[in-house]
Amino acid sequence: MERMLKTDEIELAAPMAQAEEPVPAESISPGGKPPKRKSRYFRFLGRTYKKDNTVVGLLFTLPAIVLGCIFVIAPMVVSLSYSFTDAYLLRLDEIHFTGIEQFKKVFSDGFLWNAFGNTMVFVVITVPVQLCVALGLALILNSKIKANTFFRWAFFVPVMLSLAVTSFLWGNLFEQDGLINALLVKLGIGEQPFLDDPGQAMGIIIFISIWQGAGYQMLIFLSGLKNIQPEIYEAASLDGANATQRFFYITIPNILPTFSFVLITMLIGAFRLITQPMIMTQGGPEDGTMTMSYYIYQQGITFRDVGYSSAIAMVYTVFMSVIALTLRKVMDVKN
Amino acid sequence: MEHSTTMPQADIPAAKKHKRPLTAARIVLSVCKWLGLTVLCVLFLFPIWWMVISSFKPQTVIYEQLDSFMTFLPSTWNIGEWFDSYINLFNSFEYFGTAIGNSVLYCAVTVAGVLLVNSLAGYALARLEFPGSRFISTLIILLIIVPVETSIVPQYVILSQLGLLASPASRVVGYLLPSIVSAFYIFMFRQYFMGMPRELEEAAEIDGAGKLKTFFVIMMPLAKAIFATVAIFTFMGAWNEYVFADLMFPQARQKPLQAFLQLVNTYNPKDLSMVMAALTVSTIPIAIVYIFCQRYIVEGVSFSGLK
Repeated sequence: MERMLKTDEIELAAPMAQAEEPVPAESISPGGKPPKRKSRYFRFLGRTYKKDNTVVGLLFTLPAIVLGCIFVIAPMVVSLSYSFTDAYLLRLDEIHFTGIEQFKKVFSDGFLWNAFGNTMVFVVITVPVQLCVALGLALILNSKIKANTFFRWAFFVPVMLSLAVTSFLWGNLFEQDGLINALLVKLGIGEQPFLDDPGQAMGIIIFISIWQGAGYQMLIFLSGLKNIQPEIYEAASLDGANATQRFFYITIPNILPTFSFVLITMLIGAFRLITQPMIMTQGGPEDGTMTMSYYIYQQGITFRDVGYSSAIAMVYTVFMSVIALTLRKVMDVKN
Repeated sequence: MEHSTTMPQADIPAAKKHKRPLTAARIVLSVCKWLGLTVLCVLFLFPIWWMVISSFKPQTVIYEQLDSFMTFLPSTWNIGEWFDSYINLFNSFEYFGTAIGNSVLYCAVTVAGVLLVNSLAGYALARLEFPGSRFISTLIILLIIVPVETSIVPQYVILSQLGLLASPASRVVGYLLPSIVSAFYIFMFRQYFMGMPRELEEAAEIDGAGKLKTFFVIMMPLAKAIFATVAIFTFMGAWNEYVFADLMFPQARQKPLQAFLQLVNTYNPKDLSMVMAALTVSTIPIAIVYIFCQRYIVEGVSFSGLK
């Protein structure tokens, strides 16, 4: 009896949305005793859960949990623990603890700092330029004119190319005897070394990345601009705001959430640059296009130094997280 | 400053008629805008145009015409000859057709797996509270926010320890499994299901439908839009994957199309026309998806933008 009472209490305490189960027919049958049935609820760590929800919920999430543990969580654990060892890809059963040796190496490796510098150059140029191009195009093409629909499509076409196709295509265009050099000779500028020159190679990777990606961010900005109600603009013009004022006091504040989202996604994507240099230059010439992600990949896969590769990845993750989270904070405060 | 009181009155009726006075400055500005857009448009489109056109002519002709405007026009109007490079491509690379098949297969499995695994998890986290469900939801948001650097090396280590790098067949499994679960897609599904009215499931439950049936028969058809969006984005991601595919499949006959492009591009002697044909072929499916599923892509983009 004692137990029954308790379970009834719990049933009452259960959230409303879950509590309105139909009353079992037996319990209202006249003269019948309350049927002895198991409770459909249970308590766990101070919360009440429905039993069948728990069973089905666990069953539904099981595949995701298993795959997530193996391919999302475990790599992080592996990476973190290997960064304190001398793990070698072909001898993973023979691992020695080396303390913070790998981390010391991270901060004294000149090739790594070169890769870091290259990545930063890429990020610092690509992100602002691409943002400006995308936002500028979105603002210009925002009104519903026939010509705008055409231009929107035109700027979006490069997005349809994969990074690999983009890299192979432009790699061929920028060949010594390729189309771009033929055009430059025609224009009287003369042949350029392009991908064979350490300085120009990174410039080309920056250019093709903006070329390929700007259309996508333009689309995000366009959908953000579409969500601003036209009434706000009308009210503002009635109050005497001119076009410049409307832009700074209505468009900018309203587009800011979209802007911060695009900025952070783009930044993280730029930090992880790997495909373009891998295909076009293999990090060269003279390591001029070696990036952080590519260096981590090379250390771990090509040179099989998993321990060192993991240590770099850890340090780089901390670096990226600090930047991404700080930006998120700053942008949120602004909103 | 004095203008500010008089300007609105002059401005509003004019704006209504959409006819503001055409000053010289406005004309110049408008011409500049359209000119700039056109130049930019040419810059965005000419490489792709050239890629397709060059795939229609033999390599010798490509190099002959490189320094004239003819390079942007087909060399012949006999359309039958346009596809010579495509035929060559299939003849010179025994596994080019296989690569297309591989891509289709890998994409189909990935899309099916992603939809099933992540939608079930998203639904459970939205509707079926169980011990740990809140923790998982928090973890997922954390995983989306914190940018973890390239899991490709540790993932490779794990695959090797699971023995999935041992044989060609197991490599396929090892290539496909890691891309199925995605914190971001679970989050997308969870948000979508949370926004759906609960009455539907309650009605189904009263009618005696089990949870599984409720999900597959009632919720899934109603959530078509999110399934389509996730399917499209997954397809594009899987089709375009390069780095991981390049790592996992050293054998030509297992490579998906994107990784196979490397073989065509570095083949000696190189045939530029064939390279352009291969690039075009590998872009066509994505172009088709963009053209026919535009609506879902814009929706997906704005959904992720709202987050």
